[in-house]
Amino acid sequence: MSKYELPKKFDYKDVNLLKEFITETGKIIPARVTGVSASNQRKLTRYIKIARFLALIPYTDMHN
Amino acid sequence: MKKYETVIILNPNLSSKVETFIKEFEKLLKQHSFSINKMENIGRRQLSYSINNHNKGHYLIFNIEGDSLQLIDIENKIKYNESIIRHLFISVKEHFGEDSQLLIDSKNKKSDSEDTEEKGDIKKEINIKKTKKEKTTDEEESSKDNKEEEQENSVEITKEESKEEEKDE
Repeated sequence: MSKYELPKKFDYKDVNLLKEFITETGKIIPARVTGVSASNQRKLTRYIKIARFLALIPYTDMHN
Repeated sequence: MKKYETVIILNPNLSSKVETFIKEFEKLLKQHSFSINKMENIGRRQLSYSINNHNKGHYLIFNIEGDSLQLIDIENKIKYNESIIRHLFISVKEHFGEDSQLLIDSKNKKSDSEDTEEKGDIKKEINIKKTKKEKTTDEEESSKDNKEEEQENSVEITKEESKEEEKDE
């Protein structure tokens, strides 16, 4: 019963996809809320953290 | 031999010198017997947070293949290049030949020729999806109409044929 359907292949460059899985403040939304499978959630967290490092998505909303 | 993806964020003030940087970097890769499978020049992009007081960055993505020990040498040389704001090497299982989403987005932005904000992009995508759905429904309806028209036409043709036969008689 996943609320969001994830494509088979996605990576840290799919910024618009990753943005759906972070809150307004930049936190990663837990899988129990979104209903993403465990393996996909692990991928998501990995890619979100890479995308943050590359300044594609923010770490927080407190950046100056 | 391992496959890697490299993302390099260049100083946006040196955007005009990107071509020379790409050539130098490719030369460096070749010196270390790396092969380049794909290069994507994404262009200037808004950074989500400022890095070294830069708000924009010029993104380059390379799909490369080579030896892991040689990669350390490359990274050591890149580290002290001041025109690079940030760099990342990650190993991947496979290279996908398709264009990345970042490149597609940047192309779309250029075609729009308007500096729309990221929120606007998401809205646009939703709109596009909606229009696509509408289109598909329209097409289905139109195909139905066509079929009906064809049937009507065939009926008319048979009528005409019968008329002609009567004339002949």
